[in-house]
Amino acid sequence: MLKKATPSYIRRSVYGPEPRKRAADLPGIVALELRNVFPDIPKEIYLEGDDPAIIREATRNALKKVNMDRIRPSDKVNILSSQYGFQIMGGEAYTEMIKTIKETVEERTGCRNIRLRVTTGFRIREPNEIIKHYGLDKVFRGNAAAVRAIDKGVPIETDIGTLYGVAQVYDADWIIQAHHGELRELDMHRMINRTIKPFAMAYARMETRAVAHMNFGPRSSNFIAKVIFESEFVQSRFTFGCFLLTSPQGIVGVDAGSDLDALERKLMLLGFKSYGKIRELFSEVRECIAVLDATGEPRYMIGGGMTFGNVTEAELDLFDLDILPVSLGFGLYERPAGGPRVKSINPAIKALVINHMWLGVPQLELATHIPTFVVGKDLANLLRDDPMNHDFMRYAVTAENLETAMEFARRIAKTDNVVVFDGSFGALTLSPPLAEQLLERAPEVSRRVDKQLMPKWLRQRGIDPDELADAGV
Amino acid sequence: MVEIRFVAQVDKKKCTSCGACQNVCPTEAILLPRKRAKAKVFGEKCVGCPNCSGVCPVDAITMVPRDEPMILGVDPKDVDEAQVTKLCVKAHLHPHQWLCLCTTTRVREGAAAVLQGAKTPEEVALMTGTRSGCTVYCLQPTLRLLKAHGVKVIQPKGYRWYDTTQTCWDVSEEIIRKYPGHFLEEDKEVFRKV
Repeated sequence: MLKKATPSYIRRSVYGPEPRKRAADLPGIVALELRNVFPDIPKEIYLEGDDPAIIREATRNALKKVNMDRIRPSDKVNILSSQYGFQIMGGEAYTEMIKTIKETVEERTGCRNIRLRVTTGFRIREPNEIIKHYGLDKVFRGNAAAVRAIDKGVPIETDIGTLYGVAQVYDADWIIQAHHGELRELDMHRMINRTIKPFAMAYARMETRAVAHMNFGPRSSNFIAKVIFESEFVQSRFTFGCFLLTSPQGIVGVDAGSDLDALERKLMLLGFKSYGKIRELFSEVRECIAVLDATGEPRYMIGGGMTFGNVTEAELDLFDLDILPVSLGFGLYERPAGGPRVKSINPAIKALVINHMWLGVPQLELATHIPTFVVGKDLANLLRDDPMNHDFMRYAVTAENLETAMEFARRIAKTDNVVVFDGSFGALTLSPPLAEQLLERAPEVSRRVDKQLMPKWLRQRGIDPDELADAGV
Repeated sequence: MVEIRFVAQVDKKKCTSCGACQNVCPTEAILLPRKRAKAKVFGEKCVGCPNCSGVCPVDAITMVPRDEPMILGVDPKDVDEAQVTKLCVKAHLHPHQWLCLCTTTRVREGAAAVLQGAKTPEEVALMTGTRSGCTVYCLQPTLRLLKAHGVKVIQPKGYRWYDTTQTCWDVSEEIIRKYPGHFLEEDKEVFRKV
């Protein structure tokens, strides 16, 4: 049931030094296969290291039902990608989907002017790193461009006034959305408008991103994506979306279409079915040491197919729309039965070891709430100089290597429960005592989700619970 | 208080005078004084954010340590607390909510800067130290505080920032009805409660 852990590939970046040793190689660290925890999590068709031809075939099949008649040979087409897709299992699957979209559109429409736009969050240099690493400039014949929130904007007239997209996103006759359904930022999207969220974030100018995050509330922020997507400006360019479908097991398929409402519903149901139980299982963990050891910033770092952000908020059921906890906008925090306070971290995380991570998101709350050990001076120096985490290293300490960091963390946390976020899908990298606890609690969690929580989540979104069985997910 | 430890430095041999840097600087600290001139940094205005060095297409800009850190910050106690609260409420902001997550600056500090005379987002940033990290999220509460105080904000030339500040309070009932399921009224109630 427990096997050797296989961490995900780490892409080289200026935002984080390569680790000398991976946490998966530590003595006493193993992998718990998720199929043994929850057998009903949707099965994968692709895991890191598999032949990308699987993704190619799935993408081609998904695109068969997409009408591309509006695209003429002389048109300009932008395929819109975002940086997080390239962080899923080393990025090969997402890259393969994008390449296949391009080839299929070329074949079916005769259009040769297909360009790639690689969007990003705050890591301004990341899109160019992506383009270089995956050879996308060659694939797109020199037409792959980095898009950042601070680049020149374009006004978008919406039902609530003018908002701004990034000009390079929309500088084409048509846009194609290449995205994924991986569960991240649940505290923000709350499974509302999950498919079109990039229109208010990745494809948007900084003012628009800030409108969504700072001027609207914990659930209503997703309204911004909707009014932008429904604008005449976007609708006159939008052709279709193509999505990598994910579960903690891996890539479970590819779907595409022009009707994003239908895709939204499918992604939502897949999200509940895929992530509902494992998220709830993490709420059962009473104490653990978390180890970060993968590509990306902590909140979006994956372990067992689920992001660390879902563990830092695991004590709250964020699928439940009656719970109004975390909001950058209000910057306040309301527990279900109490008054407001600033956002906190799941108190079950007793210590945090950062073996590898990327800069790029403000996350001081980690170091101020959890005893934090940063491995190696290179990473500590980067964090010390990160303008988005001014005070992080005032609260965290530096350990010379991973072994000493773990030893120190165990002494502070007084637990043998270790969970590692190393980018893995299909299995969770952890210590055997934690594996035993998770396996013991899983049947009760499974019952609770099936009988109580899932029906509630669905009803809150106007969905008959019986629909889940017929959703094809 | 925010400690600014870095400052932009331009390698004039590499600089191609493209001007990309001056459009992304949150404090007008880097400019091309005239057409085809090399980019020039005004160190006392540089808040050490990663924007200009990040977008420079020829890597002509690096962030280098300052000789001495520049300390920025506004103490809300220097301003009448009732006025701070009044301005925050008018802007539909809570005095204790985040203005800037990167620097852990609260809205009350931004309000104090506005009450002390800041007239532009750039001036608020230089007084409080905000916009020295991601430079993105703190712009909205800053603009809202300025507008609530009656300041006529003027969008700069180029694309340093665009003037748009929609909030959940600005959405009409008709539009709320048009897009059901987005919890606009409910989220406003969250704010009213706190």
